[in-house]
Amino acid sequence: MVIHEVDVPGVGKQYEVPAGGETRFVVIVHHDGRREVYRREGPDADAEKLFDLDAAAAREAASVLQAADFQPLDLDDVDVPLGDAIMEWVEVPADSPVAGETLSDAGIRAETGATVAAVQRGAETLANPGADTVLEPGDILVAIGSRDEQKALQSLVAAGEGGSDDGSETA
Amino acid sequence: MAGVLFETGVAFLALALAGALAHRLGQSVIPAYILAGVAVGPYVPTEVAGVSLALVTHGEFVTTAAELGIVLLLFFLGLEFDIGYLLSKGRELALLGGVDFLVNGAVGVALAYAFGLGPLGAVFVVGIVFVSSSAIVTKSLTDAGWLANPESRTILGTLVVEDIIVAVYLAVLAAIVGGGTLRGAALSVAGSFCFLAVLALVAYYGSDHVERAFDVGPDELFVLRVVGVAVAVGALALSVGVSEAVAAFFVGTAFSTTELVERIEHLVMPLRDVFAAVFFFAIGLDTDLRVVAGVALLVAVGALATTASKLASGYAGGRLTGLDARRSARVGIGLLARGEFSLIVATLAAASVVPAINEVVPPFAVGYVLVMSILGTLAIAHEGVLTSRLA
Repeated sequence: MVIHEVDVPGVGKQYEVPAGGETRFVVIVHHDGRREVYRREGPDADAEKLFDLDAAAAREAASVLQAADFQPLDLDDVDVPLGDAIMEWVEVPADSPVAGETLSDAGIRAETGATVAAVQRGAETLANPGADTVLEPGDILVAIGSRDEQKALQSLVAAGEGGSDDGSETA
Repeated sequence: MAGVLFETGVAFLALALAGALAHRLGQSVIPAYILAGVAVGPYVPTEVAGVSLALVTHGEFVTTAAELGIVLLLFFLGLEFDIGYLLSKGRELALLGGVDFLVNGAVGVALAYAFGLGPLGAVFVVGIVFVSSSAIVTKSLTDAGWLANPESRTILGTLVVEDIIVAVYLAVLAAIVGGGTLRGAALSVAGSFCFLAVLALVAYYGSDHVERAFDVGPDELFVLRVVGVAVAVGALALSVGVSEAVAAFFVGTAFSTTELVERIEHLVMPLRDVFAAVFFFAIGLDTDLRVVAGVALLVAVGALATTASKLASGYAGGRLTGLDARRSARVGIGLLARGEFSLIVATLAAASVVPAINEVVPPFAVGYVLVMSILGTLAIAHEGVLTSRLA
């Protein structure tokens, strides 16, 4: 994004911020600190004044606009880095049918398609666990897979009587 | 002492009232300040319903405060002087300033000769009618929301060149007024340019030292230092026959490239505005409206002719800088207001020893500025009506 800056003699500085299409936001910073904000619909249009702020209010507004305190997160967007796959944390309940079995015996990859990338057991993390890793109640499986695969994994791991997915989290 | 304090109190109250009224009416404060001076000054109106209105005399305090107003006005002009901007836009600005000066200056000369003011009168009248008011124009542009439009670039660019021409013009004019004979005037012009050249060089090469010398913590010490230097250099200039206003302009340029600009804008500007208000007020005190009425024809013809010439030169300037018809028309409209500089010229005219000048030019300048400042503000506010056909 290119922001044009020009001196306005006797007044202060002018900045033009692209706002999509031909529209520009024009910000004039006066020598006395006052900021005026205009919107200009196109190169030939007259700028329409939206509001003005004193220096302190402008800084407040800027920090809100910059989302310095609050970052809205769109969870669906955040999953994107892995492509279709998402990463989820799935806890093995005490009465899970897979507790006590190895990863390969539990058939996690074979039946659900999800891959267990790591197992969190208390304070330690078993990275890239082998097929013979025995799952214990309370383990948290860090699984990578599509949404459907994650769902299948959750029902496989969940306790026999109905499958709560408490403790599963999305990041 | 109590008398002077009372007069000063009345003066500031009258200014405050006039300023508030102008603000309410969406008008420039300059004509309001002048009229405040007229109202409480020694000339008509001298009483209202038996109560005397001749409350304030043009005493030493008013004279000094008004002088400080001129010095600070020009100091700020120098402060906002941006050599980088000037060089980067050199060609365009020279073109704008050239058209502006030639067209409006020519009308000024014609006006002076038509009314029998002669060559010296022409020099004064050119100064009065040519220069737009930076103060009024900049404020009106802000109020009307034009600042973000491209025509503002052209308008403000024109003001920048005008300011430079004013500095040179005032230096010449002050020397002429002080010089008397032609030879004396030539010598004094040469002398003042030597003085100003030295000052300009010091200002240009001394910026680093200025930055260090004025790097002082407490705000009050800073303000005192800045005002002290500006006024002292102005006084030094005056004592050798050089315009104190132009000297203050160069002092301002010494600060213009330093980091101090913002601090000065912030701290000294209120001081400038107070003293400038007294300057306009002092003009009002000296104004006898009956005398202004005596030059009404000159004022009317001058206002008409220079409105036309400013509209024309502004339009040409707009076209030269690539604006469309409507925006070019706005450049002319934007530059109509005349104000502080015309009045500074008037104070020099009042100091002239030539009767034809000191009797006619000051009342003309006051009448002309009253008309043009109000007209200029109104024209910008109602620009839509004026240019809608050009859209």
